Amino acid sequence: MTAIPTLLVIILASFFLMRLAPGGPFDGERPLPPETQAALQTAYGLDKPLWEQAWLYISRLVQGDFGPSLVYRDFTVSELVAQGLPISLTLGGLAIILALLIGISAGLFAAVRAGQAADKTIMMLATVATALPTFVTGPALALLLGLWLGWLPVSGTGEGWSWLIMPVVALALPVSGAIAKLTRAGLATVLKQDHIRTARARGLPETKILFKHGLRPALVPVASYLGPAAAGLLTGAVVVETVFGLPGLGRYFVQGALNRDYPLVLGVVTLYAALIILFNLFADLIYGWLDPRMREG
Amino acid sequence: MSGQKHHPSLSGAGRGYRKHWPLWVVLVLIALALILPALLPWTYDQIDWDAVRAPAFSGSHILGTDEIGRDRLARLAAGTRVTVMVAIAAALVSLVVGIAWGATAGWVGGKVDEAMMRFVDALYALPFMFIVILLMVIFGRSILLVFVGIGLVEWLTMARVVRGQVMALKQRPFILAAEAAGTPPLAIILKHVLPNIAGVALAYLMLTVPQVVMVESFLSFLGLGVQEPLTSLGILVKEGADYMDMTPLGLLLPGGLLVLLLVCLTIEGERLRDIYS
Repeated sequence: MTAIPTLLVIILASFFLMRLAPGGPFDGERPLPPETQAALQTAYGLDKPLWEQAWLYISRLVQGDFGPSLVYRDFTVSELVAQGLPISLTLGGLAIILALLIGISAGLFAAVRAGQAADKTIMMLATVATALPTFVTGPALALLLGLWLGWLPVSGTGEGWSWLIMPVVALALPVSGAIAKLTRAGLATVLKQDHIRTARARGLPETKILFKHGLRPALVPVASYLGPAAAGLLTGAVVVETVFGLPGLGRYFVQGALNRDYPLVLGVVTLYAALIILFNLFADLIYGWLDPRMREG
Repeated sequence: MSGQKHHPSLSGAGRGYRKHWPLWVVLVLIALALILPALLPWTYDQIDWDAVRAPAFSGSHILGTDEIGRDRLARLAAGTRVTVMVAIAAALVSLVVGIAWGATAGWVGGKVDEAMMRFVDALYALPFMFIVILLMVIFGRSILLVFVGIGLVEWLTMARVVRGQVMALKQRPFILAAEAAGTPPLAIILKHVLPNIAGVALAYLMLTVPQVVMVESFLSFLGLGVQEPLTSLGILVKEGADYMDMTPLGLLLPGGLLVLLLVCLTIEGERLRDIYS
């Protein structure tokens, strides 16, 4: 189990990186008098030695206390995170589901038509999709569907769920391209194997061969891509939240870093890291389910 | 891997201009970005007070001007230049770090190898972008730091690939012979191993470049990368996105250019990778 030490290293690295930075959370537009500065520093424990602060932070974190926000002073970090997390999780979760749906079906379709024009077209589109940065597709979608056609809201959460469509599509596109390629490559390998030939020889219908015997082992590479994909989605979410003006975690992260809001940034980094580690564990479980040989050892 | 297979001849890879069109598109774009500023009557940071937000083909502004009257074409050229420069520098950082790490792990083997590759595995799944964002926020936003930071994130795949190649090479007779002859390990690596992994490393370098372009533009988009008055494609996309309701061209031009670069680099990189592995 490397999850806990990894998490600890990330938290400590971010902690000390933040503190190396010039500037502090209390240099606003109007400089505060030195006594007030000092009083604030003491109140938030920023005058203690760094190691002691780090230790205090971690010991509170273990009890689920992320500390107060230094810039949004009426809120604790937990409160801010509680507002942002559902939005980021919804975006990321829907994006990965959409990417899996599009990616696996496109890869499957291409593999069935291997070598034909449809296969080549799909694979070319998949390559193009992987090269589409969210910060271009996001605004481009907003321009086309939001401003020109007026079908979807350009920014904010608003009523219903239509505000989710553009951010989720922008996030999902590059991931779906990568999944399509992995599925196509995985199927190409699997369909050449003996058990598939046996299944064909015994006259099983092609759809049954594909879905029952081919797809499952072919998805192993997709499962191992899920971890990096989750990391990519969380990074992309920062952009998408900025572009579409959604109050998710990513915006708090960027704003917090710019304002030197130490606890807020640390809180978001900790959550992100924990999410990614959790997702990797989940991916390992899927791995075992897809390929029983993985379950041992 | 490369242990049993013959090195594919370049003719199999498709010599000639047609098969490598993505590479040519990229090279032409870079050449344009280098030459155009010398030919245009406007520099990228020069403000034409008489032609603010001019449409395309108005007077001497071929692609019009932006919100404060700067020539779009000159800005596109300057932005492409910076983006490409950062990308090349950062890709080289990742190449050096990746080869050093991967070659050491693959050559030494055993526990060292295991520890080094575990480290890479651990970094792979991390939200490393966030550490880079922190770095950018903290240590000012110098262009030097932009590419060092990006290079340090993007070396992981290179390290993995190089390690695999080195491990395979280590068993080959000519390496064993060099070892038996008493050649020091560093000399073997430099003289015999590196030339043999150059092709693969080049292919992955090609694939790293679009990654790096993406990270740089991402940082610049958030306002954390290249700083004004310098510009990059990421900054241009950001500016375009801010004013897309008034001048959609400001978003579509740099966005389209960036996507074109990324797509071409990815296609070319994947082609090279498929040839060499």
